[in-house]
Formats: sequence, structure tokens, C-alpha cells
Amino acid sequence: MPMKKGKKKKHGSPASKPAPPPEPQPEPPKEPDFDPKSVAIEFSADQIEEFKEAFTLFDRTPTGEMKITYAQCGDVMRALGQNPTNSDVLKVLGKPRPEDMNIKMLDFETFLPMLQHISRAKDQGNFEDFVEGLRVFDKEGNGTIMGAELRHVLATLGERMTEDEVDRLMAGQEDANGCINYTSFVKHILSG
Amino acid sequence: MCKNNLKSFFSFLFKISFTLYNSAIRAAVLIQRWYRQYVARTEMRRRYTWHIFQSIEYSGEQAQIKLYNFLGYLMDNFTPSSTERNLISHIFRENDVCWDSEWERYFCYKNIEVPEVYSGPHLTFPLTVEQAVGLLEAFRNKKQLHSRYVLELLLETWKVLRMMPNINRISTCQSKEVTICGDLHGQLEDLLLIFYKNGMPSLDKPYLFNGDFVDRGKDSIEILLILFSFMLVYPCDVFLNRGNHEDHIINLRYGFTKEVLTKYKIHGKRILKLLQKIFSWLPLATIIDQKVLVLHGGISENTDLSILAKVNRHNYVSALRPPKRRNHSPAGMSIDIDLDNELWNTSRILQRRASFTYPEPLGPKDCFHNRSLQDFSNRIKANTHNELENSRKKEDILAAALSRSQQDVLSLSTDSVSSDNVKEDWRQILDLLWSDPMNQDGCIPNEVRGGGCYWGPDVTEDFLNRHNMQLIIRSHECKQEGYEFCHNRKVLTLFSASNYYDVGSNRGAYVKLGPDLVPYVVQYQASSMTRELTARQSVGRTERSALKVLREQLFAHKSDLLCAFKKFDTENKGLVSLNDWASAVESVMHLNLPWRMLCSQLVTCRSTDSMISYYDWFNELAIKGPNTDHIDQSLLETLYRHRSTLETIFRIVDTDNSGFISMEDFRQTWKLLSVYLKMEITDEDICNLAVTIDSNHDGTIDIDEFMEAFRLTDKKSRLERGRSMFMGTASDLKLEEDPNV
Repeated sequence: MPMKKGKKKKHGSPASKPAPPPEPQPEPPKEPDFDPKSVAIEFSADQIEEFKEAFTLFDRTPTGEMKITYAQCGDVMRALGQNPTNSDVLKVLGKPRPEDMNIKMLDFETFLPMLQHISRAKDQGNFEDFVEGLRVFDKEGNGTIMGAELRHVLATLGERMTEDEVDRLMAGQEDANGCINYTSFVKHILSG
Repeated sequence: MCKNNLKSFFSFLFKISFTLYNSAIRAAVLIQRWYRQYVARTEMRRRYTWHIFQSIEYSGEQAQIKLYNFLGYLMDNFTPSSTERNLISHIFRENDVCWDSEWERYFCYKNIEVPEVYSGPHLTFPLTVEQAVGLLEAFRNKKQLHSRYVLELLLETWKVLRMMPNINRISTCQSKEVTICGDLHGQLEDLLLIFYKNGMPSLDKPYLFNGDFVDRGKDSIEILLILFSFMLVYPCDVFLNRGNHEDHIINLRYGFTKEVLTKYKIHGKRILKLLQKIFSWLPLATIIDQKVLVLHGGISENTDLSILAKVNRHNYVSALRPPKRRNHSPAGMSIDIDLDNELWNTSRILQRRASFTYPEPLGPKDCFHNRSLQDFSNRIKANTHNELENSRKKEDILAAALSRSQQDVLSLSTDSVSSDNVKEDWRQILDLLWSDPMNQDGCIPNEVRGGGCYWGPDVTEDFLNRHNMQLIIRSHECKQEGYEFCHNRKVLTLFSASNYYDVGSNRGAYVKLGPDLVPYVVQYQASSMTRELTARQSVGRTERSALKVLREQLFAHKSDLLCAFKKFDTENKGLVSLNDWASAVESVMHLNLPWRMLCSQLVTCRSTDSMISYYDWFNELAIKGPNTDHIDQSLLETLYRHRSTLETIFRIVDTDNSGFISMEDFRQTWKLLSVYLKMEITDEDICNLAVTIDSNHDGTIDIDEFMEAFRLTDKKSRLERGRSMFMGTASDLKLEEDPNV
């Protein structure tokens, strides 16, 4: 992507205003609300057994009722290797109110179609996507970005992270000058 | 500097094109998504690691209780003169004839000389605070207190404890905050850390220690000595509650007995005996400002503080068994008589046989005590050879048993005053020391541990209302953050042994409580390893440790696993699918772990179509032993699986705590074991085992050598030995032998 530093914005908005906020994620197919019944389960029986294990691991009900809270739904999906955004998760949950997240429960049968739907998401992001995105901030074109800037990005854009989360993510990544080699950084985070 | 950067950053953002901005957002979202996935996966690993440790730990506790119940069961059913019974009866004989003066003679320390060369602290009584602090410093510097002073200190402690009520009452009304600590489990480093962060006990700084001071860690005796000495110096400001590990039966398995016997070779036995008394005299609970109840385990729906306030707590030397029948002689002397003499004389009960025949299990069906017994009743085989004779004998016994009411039988082991009362008292104490909270309403037996119950929020609510209190503080369970609230913040679990399962596994915590009675939690983590671990490293290390322990457990069940696999592998190809592997493993191990998730960590040999070759897998797991070719493999496996039990039984049989048992006792022990462990073991097998050890043919077996020889002690297994492989080694201790390495 060519560097367009210093060039005026393409849109005709006044210089003092920032660019209009774009979609934080690739456009999903326009659908009204998520309907679990409409999802055909394609997972194998073996896979489903494994999902049950993860589900049980996060189940905090007394004698294993096999239920999790709405708030845990995203975590369980991620623990199973999916990569939804928070907004994706809220969508499959039927856009619950914030106060319901820790109260409303989800059983495995309800969870499964949600997981299936999430697993079909095409845009999982790969190494190149990460690197390309970070290259935007590589002002000198030398393969490094300022750690401070990356922190700002993660804390202010997209689905913001807290300062704590950013600190943990970036632990040990910045060199003495506060710079990060972003290719290595991406390799590091993808190695899990 | 930072502000300028922020400014220039945002102005940079404003200047770039929409496409680039879009791209930056995409990158941000990707990273954020990835990060959240990473956090979730780490959390998952942490959880199953925790499960592994906890399942294995609790099944160990359960095994210990089962063993104890089994032995108790044998006790109740053998003739007094049988050899097997004599081997084990002494652990149930709580008090020999007990004049106070007899005890004083037994525990007398005055004849013990302290040699010139001794470089540890010298104590004079009454103890001063300088001496208590000096003791602390000495232990920090790896010194050991001389047995003379140990006995003296313990005697003084015993005197003080006998004057305390069952339930201590503290007040914070003088603007004194009380510091409450949970389980320490012999981890001296944590106690030192607490004193460092919070200050030592003093008139202005009262402390309450909530039980489980001993077992698993390597400095249990030092912790006791420190706590007792501060209690002697500040009897109104240092309080101790009894925990379920302040119990000599539990100590046999979990390392404290061994620690004392190793550190105090000559006087260890006396020290242990005195500690038995001290443990039984430890208060059961503490109430702060009449509003906050502090106790070790928890409560049940039957917990009644007014009953607990009145029990004779010192009768319960071990919480696992109700006290023996007491007879009072005309001289006012209290004698605990040998239970079976009484029975034999009155011949009230079942006709006994010298062999392992049995009546139906006794007592209410759902009593945990009897649940374990039911497990055994089908394991016990008759020793006599005639089947017909056996069944006839069984019928006799059954008839005899059925003709008595259950009440009669159970009352044998109770106080002469009122059998019902003592049983009730016993249950109250058991619940107090062993129970765990659960999220669900109600109250059910705690089958995982084998003692006490699980109690729910409704029980908490009811209890607090009845007693007009607002908070229960308890310990007994390890928590990752060192503490955890539950039941609507009305129950607080507090655990003070950091790195309990392994370095980095959990933090410890203590609580400060002022007159406002709002608990203020302070966390810490001992770091004898100098490196700071990142969260990822910490999880990784603990995970590896847990997996190692799990692999050993799996290997120890090889025969059963092989059977289970073969059932799935109908074509006998040596292969099973992942699903079948997981089902088979759970059916054998009963640990309720997420096997499919763990599979990739436990099994590296997968064939191309993702089937598992189980023979290869066993080779992977195999634990190499010394030259044991002449010993049957399945016997070895059984030994390995039950090594804790084996060692416990050895130590029980070793009545004078010498570390040696005679060949004859060794043989008898195996007979006991063969029944308990469902092993077929011939005399030849026993001889082979003995020969491997008793190389000098002097007719005695060294217990430690035996365990070592069969690789039955794993120096690195923390759960069994109370010592983490990642913690400091014995080289810094001036002991001849480190008990726990």
C-alpha cells in the first residue's frame, strides 16, 4: 500500500474532523437476527465430544449442569480455536443487554449452532493481514513501529483493549528505544 | 514526552487516508481478536491443569480415608488375638492408661542433654518475644531446634491449649485489626513472607491461623514451633484453629510424621505423641466480634455452635473416628479401654472369626463412613478354604448382625454417657473440619474427599441468621488467587500456601479485619525461584508438572487401561480412535478430566489416520525401575499405584517408628494389603520382594529402602511428597536426610 502521509483525505469532510469511522470488521451478510434453528450442524461426533469437554471446563454450575453464562460464550468459542470479535459473539447471542451477560445461561445444545455459525466466518486473518495492517504505522519503513503507538491503537481503535490487557500482550516486546519489530511481533503472537 | 507522542499519533491518524485508516483498524481488530483467543486458551489450560492437580489430590485424600475406614473395619471384626489386628490396633488405641503423672514422665525432657556443639537456639521459659523472634530467625537460617526445647515448648503449649474453650472469641473493638491466615502446609517461606509484609504478632497485631499448618511442605514442625511460641508469648493475641490435617492419621500419609521422625530420630516418637494431644486440644473455631465465624472446613445444615461449644474436643484425637468408649474407675481415673476386650467379654455382638469374613455393612446407607465400607465388603475373601464352611460362617455372622439393631452396634464406639450424643458430636466436628461450599442449595455428603459435606448458599444464609452473624471465613481449599468469595460474599475461602501445586500455580492470601468487619485481602506469592514468571510461563510450567503427574498415574493403571482398550479394539490391531481412547481412560481413571483436550499432550504417537497405538503409548509412558525382572509386572504396577497407601501401612505397622519392620510383620502387612488392594499375592511373591531389599538377610526391612528400590518414591512428585521439584533442594538444610526429597 502506498504511503499517503500528508495527503488530504479523499472524502470532502472538513480538515478538522477525522475520517468517518469505517466498519470495524468486514461486512457480514446482511441478516436480521441470528436464528440458531437455521444452522445445520456439520461438526463430527468426535468434534462435538471435544467441544463438550471445553464447555464443561468452563461450566461453573454446581454439579455440572453443562451451562455457561452469556459472558463466557465468547471465551469458550475462543478456547476451541475460533476467533470471533465481541460483536460477532453478541450477535449470535441475540444481542443481549449488558446486564444479562452474567445472568443468562446457555446450555450446550444452544451453544453448538452458535459455534457452528462462528466457525464459518471466512475472515480469520492471517500473517499477511496482521503485518500489512501494522505496516501503516511504520513511518520510517524500516520494519519497526513505536510500541507506544501500537498501544494507542489497541486501546482506542476497533474492539478496545484495556491498558492491563495491552501491557500483558506487549510484555517484553519493546526494545530499549520502545520500538517493536512488527514481523517478529506477529510471529510471536501467532505462536500462541 | 508521552503526551507529545499521543498528540502526534492522533494527528498522524487524522492525516492518513481512509483506506489506510481502515487497514489500521483491521489490524487492530485482528490483534484484539487474537489476543482474546489467547487469553481464553490460556484460561482453559489453567483450568484443566488445576483439575488434574485437584482430582489427584482429593482422590489421595479419599484413598486415605478409605484406608483408615478399612483398617477400622478390620479392627471391629477381628478377634483380639489375631495377628493382623495387632499390627494395626495401636493406631486406634488413643490413650494408654493415662495418669497425668504418667504422661509427664513420658514427655519429660529434663534428662535430655543439649550438646555443646549444638548451634541452634536455646530456649528458657517463660518464653519472651525476643526468643520467639530468635526462633523465627534461626529457622530462616535453616537451623533446627533441639528436641529438648521442642518437648518443653510443646508441653507449655499443651498446658495453655487445655485452658482454651472450643470456640475462641476475639474482639476488634479496640481498633485492633486481626490478621487471619489460611492453610500453610509446612511452607515456611510463606509464613516468613506474611510476617515480613504484615509484621509479626504482637499486642497490637493479633493473628488467627486457620488450621492445616502441617503436611506436604517440608517445614511443618518449624511452622508449628513458631506459631506455638508466639501463642505462648501472646496468649490473648495469637489464635489457632484446628484443621483436618492436625490429625495423626492424616499425617501418616502426607508427610508430617515422616518429617518429624527424620528430623528427630531419637525423640521423634515422643514429639509426635505429644503433638497428637496438642492437635486434639486445638480450638475448633473462632468468632470475631460475635459476627464473623472462622473455621477450617465449613458447616453443614446440622452445624450447631452450642453443641460445638460443649463437646469434649480432646477426645477426638483423629476426626476420622469417633472416640473410644470411656470407663471411669472409682479412683476417678479415666481409662480408654480396648474396645474389643469389652466386646469379647460381653459377647454382645457378632461372632468373630480370625479370617476375613464379614457381615453386611453397618450404619445408615448414605453415611460416607459406610459407603467406603461397602466398597470393601466385596473385596474381602475368606481365608479358610472350605467354601461351604465359609458360607455357613457368613450366615451365622449375618444372623447375629441382623439380630442387633444398628444402634447397638454403632454405640460400641461411643461414650458411655450417651451414644447418640457422641455420634452427633463427632459428626459436628467432622463437618467443621472437612466440608466444602458448593454453588447449589442444599447439603450433600462430600464424597470427593470422603469426609464432611458440601453445603449450599441456603445453608449459609440459614446458619448466619440463626447465629446472628454476617460472614464465614474458612480455608481448606486451594484457590488460584489465594482467596475466593462465594455464597453472595458471605463465605470467604482463604488459602495461605502460595505455589501449592507447583511454582506459579497460585498466590497466597491473608485477610485483615478491623472493627468494621470488612475483610481486606492481601495477596502474595513466595518466589524462591529468582526468576519472575510471565503468566504464560507460569501456566506452562504448572501444566507440564500436572501432565507429568498425570502420566505417572496413567502408567500405574496400565493393566486396567489395556483391558479397556482391548474392548474397543475388536480386531486386535493395537489401535483405538481418539474417542474410544478417551472413554476407556475415563472409565479406568475416574478423574473426570477433559481427556480429548489433553490427548495431544499425553499421547505423541498417533498414526496417520489419527488412531492411537496404545502399545506404543505405554512404552512412551513407561517408568523405568531398577532390577525388578524377577518381580511380576502387574504386581509392580499395583505397588506403584498404591505406593502412598503401602507406605502408610508400613508406617502404621512400624509401631516403634524405627523405620524398620520385621520380616514377619512384612508378611502380615502383605496379607492385609492383598485384601485391601484386591491383589493375588503368594508367599513366593512376598519372598521375592523381601529378598530384593533385605540384602543383609538380617530379618528386617528398611521401609525407605523398600520404597526407593521399587522406584515407589518419586522424588519429584509434589503431591505425594509435599515438595515441588522446582523448589529449593535439600542441600540448604543441615539434615542427614531430607524427608521430602
